[in-house]
Amino acid sequence: MLSSRLDPESAAALANRAHHAELAHELSQRLAAVRLGGSPRAREKHKARGKLLPRERVEQLIDPGSPFLELSQLAATGMYDDDAPAAGIITGIGRVSGQLCMIIANDATVKGGTYYPMTVKKHLRAQEIARENRLPCIALVDSGGAFLPMQDEVFPDRDHFGRIFYNQAQLSALNVPQVAAVMGSCTAGGAYVPAMSDEAVIVRNQGTIFLGGPPLVRAATGEIVTAEELGGGEVHSRVSGVTDHLAENDAHALEILRRIAATFPPPAPTPWQRRESRPPAVSETELYSVIPSDNRTPYDVREVIARIVDASEFTEFKAEYGQSLVTGFAWIHGHPVGIVANNGILFSESAQKGAHFIELCDQRRIPLLFLQNISGFMVGRDYEAGGIAKHGAKMVTAVACARVPKLTVVVGGSFGAGNYSMCGRSYSPRFMWLWPNARISVMGGEQAASVLATVRRENLEAKGETWSQEDEETFRAPIRAQYEEHGNPYYATARLWDDGVIDPLDTRTVIGLALGACANAPLPEVSRGVFRM
Amino acid sequence: MTRSFDRVLIANRGEIAVRVIRTLRELGITSIAVYSDADAGAKHVREADEAVRIGPAPALESYLSVDNVIAAAMRCGAQAVHPGYGFLSENAEFAEACAAAGVTFIGPPVRAIEMMGDKIAAKNTVAAAGVPVVPGRHDEDMSDAAIVEAVSEIGCPVILKPSAGGGGKGMRVIREEAELSGALASVRREALAAFGDDRLLVERFVERPRHIEIQVLADQHGDVIHLGERECSLQRRHQKVIEEAPSPFLTPEGRERMGAAAVAAARSCGYVGAGTVEFIVSGADADDFYFLEMNTRLQVEHPVTELVTGVDLVAQQLLIAGGARLPLTQQDVTMQGHAIEARVYAEDPAAGFLPSAGRLALVHDPSGEGIRVDSGVATGDVVGTDYDPMLAKIITYGGDRQEALHRLEAALRRTAYLGVRTNLDYLTGLLTRDEVTTGRLHTHLLDDHPQWAEYSELGDHFIAAAAGVLLLARGQALVETGRGEAGRDPWTRSDGWRLNGRGWTTWQFQAPQRTIVAEVSGPPRAASLVIDGASPELISVAERGARISVSMAGITREFQYAMSDARIWLACDGHTVALRDMDILAAEAAGADAGAAGPVRSPMPGSVIEVCVAPGDEVAEGDALVTVEAMKMEHALVAPVAARVEAVHVRAGDTVALDQELVLLTDQQSGAQ
Repeated sequence: MLSSRLDPESAAALANRAHHAELAHELSQRLAAVRLGGSPRAREKHKARGKLLPRERVEQLIDPGSPFLELSQLAATGMYDDDAPAAGIITGIGRVSGQLCMIIANDATVKGGTYYPMTVKKHLRAQEIARENRLPCIALVDSGGAFLPMQDEVFPDRDHFGRIFYNQAQLSALNVPQVAAVMGSCTAGGAYVPAMSDEAVIVRNQGTIFLGGPPLVRAATGEIVTAEELGGGEVHSRVSGVTDHLAENDAHALEILRRIAATFPPPAPTPWQRRESRPPAVSETELYSVIPSDNRTPYDVREVIARIVDASEFTEFKAEYGQSLVTGFAWIHGHPVGIVANNGILFSESAQKGAHFIELCDQRRIPLLFLQNISGFMVGRDYEAGGIAKHGAKMVTAVACARVPKLTVVVGGSFGAGNYSMCGRSYSPRFMWLWPNARISVMGGEQAASVLATVRRENLEAKGETWSQEDEETFRAPIRAQYEEHGNPYYATARLWDDGVIDPLDTRTVIGLALGACANAPLPEVSRGVFRM
Repeated sequence: MTRSFDRVLIANRGEIAVRVIRTLRELGITSIAVYSDADAGAKHVREADEAVRIGPAPALESYLSVDNVIAAAMRCGAQAVHPGYGFLSENAEFAEACAAAGVTFIGPPVRAIEMMGDKIAAKNTVAAAGVPVVPGRHDEDMSDAAIVEAVSEIGCPVILKPSAGGGGKGMRVIREEAELSGALASVRREALAAFGDDRLLVERFVERPRHIEIQVLADQHGDVIHLGERECSLQRRHQKVIEEAPSPFLTPEGRERMGAAAVAAARSCGYVGAGTVEFIVSGADADDFYFLEMNTRLQVEHPVTELVTGVDLVAQQLLIAGGARLPLTQQDVTMQGHAIEARVYAEDPAAGFLPSAGRLALVHDPSGEGIRVDSGVATGDVVGTDYDPMLAKIITYGGDRQEALHRLEAALRRTAYLGVRTNLDYLTGLLTRDEVTTGRLHTHLLDDHPQWAEYSELGDHFIAAAAGVLLLARGQALVETGRGEAGRDPWTRSDGWRLNGRGWTTWQFQAPQRTIVAEVSGPPRAASLVIDGASPELISVAERGARISVSMAGITREFQYAMSDARIWLACDGHTVALRDMDILAAEAAGADAGAAGPVRSPMPGSVIEVCVAPGDEVAEGDALVTVEAMKMEHALVAPVAARVEAVHVRAGDTVALDQELVLLTDQQSGAQ
C-alpha cells in the first residue's frame, strides 16, 4: 500500500494547489462557454421551434442520474474564428436503458449543425471508440450536412464525411447496433445517417430527410415542394419507410430510443475479473498539492498513483530496476490495471522494464494505464552505444502490439519518442486525456529553440558571420512562443489529438468509466512483433 | 359483568366491525366476521377470530342478504349477531329472521324498528308521548285562508314550501305574519311556474338549525337512560363530517330537557338497546328543539359519547341483549371533558366529493394522548366502490372543547392515507375555520361554503419532496440490484456525474391543476432543483425510516410518502398531494387506444364491395363502415370511435387506391373532425 509524503501545509504544496486550482478554473471557464453551444439567438430560435437543445436531448436520453462520459468537449477551440463550439457536435458514452452507448448529437445552434473538419474528426473518433469498445451508437441528427465553405477539408479524403457511413456499415456488421433519431434536418450526405441505421426514429413536423432539399429540387427539376412534403416524418414513416418510428416531439423520440436500446443484445462478459471498488486510502483531493506547478520539477509519480487506485494498493514490479519508470499492478474501481508511469527520463533499463511489464499485462488480460510525464529518452554517446534505440524500440513494439485496452493520461510533459513508448495518440490508446498542465510536442520549446539556434549559429559561423546574444534571443523567443502555443493542451484538444482535457480530480472516475466501457469488448488473441534483442 | 354470549357474529364490515371485535375480545367473546369477495383479507376479517364468506361483492348479495348472513350465523354457531350500523342494522325482517333462527339480534325489538323506521308513524308516536315535533300543516290543497290560519297556529317564523317541490326551489321564509298575505301570491306563482302546481305546505322555520342527538340505552326490564348529546351539525348534504360531545350550544338544563324527551321517545316505542334520538335545534334558541328521527342502532359517531361518559356502548348492547339489567342509572352518567370525531372518507372534495378508489399504499394513523382511531383499513388494503367510502374515524378527547379541537387538528396533520384521495385536507381545514373553533355551527354551514373544498395552492416543498422521493428511489434501485452508490462501478452512479459539470434530470409532474416541470441535479443530500424554469433552489433529502425529510429554503419538513400507480403521494402537515410522474410513452399509448374521428382511408388498393353507412348516420365504435376487397381478402373498415358520418366518398364497385379517403367521421359531441 502506498503512503504519501506530502505535507499539505508546506509552502510548495500550497503553491502547487493554488496553481492547479487556477488551471482547473480556467478549464471550467472554457467548458462553461462551450457548453452553451451556439449564439443566444440561435438557441432561442431553436427552442422556439419546440426543439430541445442537444445537451437537453442527451440528458433525457440517458438513464436518469447516470454518468455521461463526454468526449472532446473542447474540439475546435480557437479554430474557425471560434464559430464552432465543441465543433458543433456532442459525443460521449452514456447509459441508455442500462446499456453503455456512444451518443452522437448534432448541435443545430452551431452553424445549423454543419460539419467542419473537426466535426467530422470528432464524429469519426466517436465511431472509433464505439468500434473498439463495442458500444451501440445512437445518433441524434440535426445537421445541414457538410460545411460547404470548407468542403475540400470535409468531403474528399478517406477520413472525411463519407467515412461516417462506411463506419456505420462496418459497425453494424460487427453487431454494434446503429440507431438514429432525426430531430431536425438531415440533408444530402446527412440523410445517410438514418438511412444507414439499423432502426430510425423521426420527429413529426420537425425532422426531415432528403438527398436534395426544396431549393435544390426546384433548381434541378422545377418542382415546388415543402420540406415536410419532401422528406418529413409522415412521408418517411408512412410512405418511404426510411424511418421506423414516428415521434410527436423530441421527448417522445428520446423515449422511443430508450425503448429501442432496451432491445440491444447484452454486452460480452467482461474479459477480466472485477472486484469491489474501494476508495483510495490517501486523500484524492490532495492531487493538486502533489503535482509541481512547473513540469520540470521532478516528483514521485507514486504520489499520483496513490490517489487514483483502489485502497491506494499498488503492487510494484521491478521496483529496484530502471527506476525512472514505475510499473505495477493495481485496481481502479474494481478493474485490474497495469500502471506504467514516468518518474524521470527513459533509460535502456527502464525501457526494457516497461516492455517486460506491458507483456505481462497483455498476457494476463490486465488493461494498461499510462501516466505520461516524459521529456524523452536519454541521449548521449554512452546511451546510443548501449543500444537505447533498440531498447526503446522494444517498449514501443510492446505498446503497439498489446491487445489489452490501453488508457493514457498525460499528467505532465509528453515529448519526443517518450510519447511513443508511453502510448501517445499514434499508439491507439482506447482513450487518452490531458491534464490542464500537460504539454505535448516533439521536444520542449527551450530545447527546440536551442537546437535550431545551434544549427543556425553553426551555419552563420561556417559563413564567417557572428551572431550576437541579443540576435540569438530574438531568434529563440518566437520558437519558444510557438512551441508553447502548439504544445498547449487546449491547442491539442481542439485538434482531437486526445479525447479531452480533464481536471486531475476527475482522473479516477474517468478511468473507472472508461474501463467500464472497455470491458464491453472481448479481447483478441495475444500477438506480438519482433523484439530487437 | 357476566358474559352473555360466547360467540358473536358481526354482520358488518370496515371500521365498525373492527370496533365491535375490539370489545368482544375484551370481553373474551369469540368474534366471527363475515365478508364478501371484495373483502376477503380485509382488516375486519384479519382482526376477527373467525370469518365466514357471505357472497360476492355487491352488498345486496352479501352484507344485505338476510339469508346469507343468517346462514353464516347458523353455520358457525353464533349465539348473537351484532349488526353494526347501515346494512341490516335497521332491517325488521332481519331481526325477525334472527329470532326465527334462534340467534339473538343485538338491537331493539322488531316493533320498535318498524315504528321508528316509518317517519310519519314515528312522529305521531313520539308526539303522542309529548316529544316536540316540527309544527306544521301538510293538508292537501290548502286555501290562502287555511294557510293564514295555520301560520297563526304554528307561529312565525314559518316556511312555505310547494307541495310538488324539492331542493329548496320556490320556498319562502315568513318572519312576520304581516308579510304573509303579500308573499302567498308570489310563492304560488313561482310554484306554478316551476312545478306546474301551486299547492303549498307550511311548517315552522328553524333558524340556523343545529343537529343535536341524544344517546339512549334501554334494557329489557323497562329501564331507560340517556348518555347525553352529540352535536353533528357539520354535515355535507346530510352526511355527517365532524361530530362532538357535548354540544357547545347546550346548557345543562337544555341537555336535561332533551334527554328527558329522548327517553320519552324511546319509551314510546318500547325501545330496547342502544339508540339515538335525533333533534333539530334552532340556532336562535336552544329550547326550540324538535324530534327528527330515531336511529335504532349504534351510530357512527358513538365514540365521542364513549369518550366523555366512559361507557363502552357495545359492551352495554351485549349486556342488554343478554337480558341483563342496565348497570347504570341516570345519576351514574356524567359527561366529562370533550370529544370530537372526524370521519375520513375516500373521496375527492375538490372534485365534488366524488368517491375515490385504489390501493392504500400507506396508512399512518396518529397515536398519542387523547387520540382514538377507529379504522377499517391498513396499508396495502384496496378501497373499492362497492361500499360506503368511509375509511376511518379519528377521535380526540380533551379536558375542554379547545383542547380536543387542537388535539384533533394536530392528529389529522399527522395522519396519512396515501394511494386514494381522501377528505383529510378538508377536515384539517375545517378545524381551523372560525365558525368551527367558536362553535357557531349549523347544518347548512358546509353546503354554504363549497370553496372550503377547493384545492389549496401546491407548495414548492411538495415538488421538492416528489423530486426527493424519485432521487432516493434511484439510489435505492441501485442498492436493490446490488450496485450500491458507494464504491462500485462508477457507471452506476446516480448523481448525474458529468466531466467538468453536472447533469440534470427533468421530471414532469401532473398535479390536479397544473403540470410542473422539475429539473434536478446532484445527489439527494445536496441537489439543485429548478421548478418551472425558476431560479435554482438547493434541497437536501434524506430517508427517515418510513418518511423522508426535505430541507428547502432553510426549512426542514417531514413527509409521509408512497409511490403508487406512477403517482407520488406525499403528506405533510395536513396536506396530501398526489403528483403523477408523467410517462411519455404511456401517454402516447393511451392516446392511441382512444382513437379519433376523422377520415377513414383504404388500407390497400382494391374495390369497394359494400358501403354500410350513409351521411348523417350515427355509428358506434366498431360499427362497419365500408368493406374493401383486395387480393381476394375482404377488409371491413370499422368506426374507431362512436361518431357521426359526415360524408361517404365511395359506392359499391368503386376501385380505390391505397390511403384513399372513403368516409369522413365527425365527433358526435363537438362536431369536430
